[in-house]
Amino acid sequence: MRKTWLLGGAMAALLCAGPALAQKTTLVVGMQTQDAGVLDPHLNSGTPGKALLNWMFNGLVRIKPGQASPDQIEPDIAESWTSSPDGKEWTFKLRQGVQCHHDGGEFTSEDAVYSLNRAANKDSSTFSSDYAAFDKVEAVDKYTVKITLKNAIPSLLGQVMNYHGGNMVCKKAAEALGKDGFGKKPAGTGPFMFAEYVPQQYVKLVANPKYFRGEPKLKEIIYRFIPSDAARDLALQAGEIDLMIGRQEQAWVDRTAKTAGLKVVAFGPAEMSVIHLNMTQPPLDNIKVRQAIAHAINRAGIQQFRGPAISRQAVSVVPSGYFGTHETAPLLPHDVNKAKALLTEAGFPNGITLKAIHTTLPGMMGFMEAVQAQLKRAGINLDITPVEHPTFHQQIRQDLSQVVHFQAARFPIADVYLTQFFHSRSIVKTPTAVTNFSHCKVADAEIDAARTEQDKAKQVALWKTAQEKIIAEVCAVPVNEMLMLWAYRDNLDLGYELKGSLNLGPPVTENTRFTR
Amino acid sequence: MGAFLVKRLMFAVVTLFAVLTLVFIVVRIVPGDPALVILGDQADAQAIAALQKRLGIDRPLFEQYVSFLAGALRGDWGTSLVTGRPVLVEVMAVLPWTLELTAVSLVLGAVIGVPLGAWAAINRNRMPDYFTRILSLIGLSFPPFVSAILLLIGFALALRWFPVISSNRGTPWEWFQSIALPAVNLGLIMAAYITRVTRSAMLEVMQEDYVRTARAKGVPWRVIVWRHALRNALIPVVTIVGLYLSILIGNSVLTEIVFNRPGLGKLIIGALSQRDYMMLQGMMVIYTLIVVVVNMLTDIVYAVVDPRVKLA
Repeated sequence: MRKTWLLGGAMAALLCAGPALAQKTTLVVGMQTQDAGVLDPHLNSGTPGKALLNWMFNGLVRIKPGQASPDQIEPDIAESWTSSPDGKEWTFKLRQGVQCHHDGGEFTSEDAVYSLNRAANKDSSTFSSDYAAFDKVEAVDKYTVKITLKNAIPSLLGQVMNYHGGNMVCKKAAEALGKDGFGKKPAGTGPFMFAEYVPQQYVKLVANPKYFRGEPKLKEIIYRFIPSDAARDLALQAGEIDLMIGRQEQAWVDRTAKTAGLKVVAFGPAEMSVIHLNMTQPPLDNIKVRQAIAHAINRAGIQQFRGPAISRQAVSVVPSGYFGTHETAPLLPHDVNKAKALLTEAGFPNGITLKAIHTTLPGMMGFMEAVQAQLKRAGINLDITPVEHPTFHQQIRQDLSQVVHFQAARFPIADVYLTQFFHSRSIVKTPTAVTNFSHCKVADAEIDAARTEQDKAKQVALWKTAQEKIIAEVCAVPVNEMLMLWAYRDNLDLGYELKGSLNLGPPVTENTRFTR
Repeated sequence: MGAFLVKRLMFAVVTLFAVLTLVFIVVRIVPGDPALVILGDQADAQAIAALQKRLGIDRPLFEQYVSFLAGALRGDWGTSLVTGRPVLVEVMAVLPWTLELTAVSLVLGAVIGVPLGAWAAINRNRMPDYFTRILSLIGLSFPPFVSAILLLIGFALALRWFPVISSNRGTPWEWFQSIALPAVNLGLIMAAYITRVTRSAMLEVMQEDYVRTARAKGVPWRVIVWRHALRNALIPVVTIVGLYLSILIGNSVLTEIVFNRPGLGKLIIGALSQRDYMMLQGMMVIYTLIVVVVNMLTDIVYAVVDPRVKLA
């Protein structure tokens, strides 16, 4: 009899403990993609890949989880670092005992040297041009890495952090698998390790029990490819996924935030929508016409249109919050009458017609149609030719569009945005082309001088002057900034406050867990 | 039968060769650079040129064409430009999913469509006929992605009978759960087609002399309908099913995306948006093969259903 009671008691205790035992340890993520692409951090530059790879790799340094500003840099694999006064020599002291995934052994300076050289090599890296200033990378001893630069650069730490080429790969695994093999079975040192890839369905990661910050609380991550927005929404509501990338629409935010059990978060870095004006083509070669366009665009109106909670007005030709952004730049104010008067002065009293090739992506197209309506009020007709997104990217680089709407976020240092969009070296259809669609070249001297300037105050002043010159010349009209949007179940505790993420997805750390 | 098959196979080879050439040209005419898509919007001109070289897409078109044909003959469809995995491996990984969905939808369509069409025909211009015609019209005019979302809202979200992500396999129950909604979504469209074709074919057959003779000599009505009329009415139905199979595969693209089911449709959309030439080429050939094989099978089934057709 007593035995039966004991047994009954034990069973009751087990049943009571049931919910605690059943606490979720698998995180299911929904990503808007058909496939995450090559799973090599030095080759993958797409949003779906970056968010995922971020959970597997570390840098020598990192930006604190949940932040996107370079002034939040903290140690990652390196525990400390020093630099020479001229900023050309950097020495990093690595942590001891950091382990490579899949029993790949300890991560040492040899791995760090291999990784940085791999990132700088154009055959193995998409980001090799970021490392053009690297002269040599050496292993001083097992735990010390020395980087020597040809010339000082605005942010060396940005090149060795857990972002793009700065992600540290393990030499043994990378050499054994080769470039193609590594992209299918990546090995880093991060909190989660690659376990399985199923085409068109998911990538599975498992917790790294030897992670140097401690074993992750989650055991598994299933990273599902769900390209349909509607299907992702429904799967989140049905509890089949826990975390998902959202739509950049105010209506989506309002609807999802009202759904019980779900949270929506908007974070940076924001993608800035800029209207680039090709200054080599008439009538845009006339500054009065460009000024008229700038006066005709109403940034406040566009922000209302795109959604006040998910977008903000542009403040300069560099997005707000970047290191070096001119937060109070003298952008031309909205004034339709002034725009009309300027057009008349320029010799176009009856208005002008401009041509733009534009992507069919709905979010970007909605923005462009709103701008088209605003320009119309000032007598500026914008003829939009809609083309598919890859076609758009090819044709704007062939200098085929008079007006280019480009929406992008970059590494948050003014130099990157200014160089890629406004330096003469980046003018489209040149051998060194990047994305200078306006053919702007008024601020080359300041951009170049700022890049090697070691005095931070002087550097910022140079960037400020560059932005003022570009705005005065109206190479482009910055309009609006769109935040990244993700939604997750309210029982998911990310383990930090999410304000930003350079890798465009929320970091999943050793502290991320389900509360119930 | 043997001579017939050889003749059809020769036609199939010529068709395939023509499609290979056409696909090779078409995927390259479409603007958009795979290197740019892979590298992302920050890539500079030098990086793009380097990747084009690595991918081999900077070579003269004729050289690319020859190596593509040579590879195809050896059964090597190349490597996906985006994922770096062999095209054949990627296609074979998802092909069973598409075939399974198509087959189940087809069976569902036939099981619903044939009796409904026959029922409508023998009740011509009466309530069952009106009801069936309206129903099939709705089925035909409903875009598959809309019906898919409605099915998900109703059965996956409100009733929780089925999962939203239909990609589970394992136990027969899990398999059933994951195929049920996508198959119903496609099957209903197929049923709508089959209902209409069966109805009109039945109406035509019912007016034939032999049906009147059968009725005159007192053959029971049920026997006339099922044995004499329906069997003959099924001949055009088989043709339509064969023809619509390719439409079904097309519709499966949208169904696969909304139900998040792996399949050729999803693969082809991804390859198209990323300008993955290699993958597109491989996929097109697979699609062509399916259409060719289905047409051949239709011809063979024709002979089985209609003894008057000789395979010579």
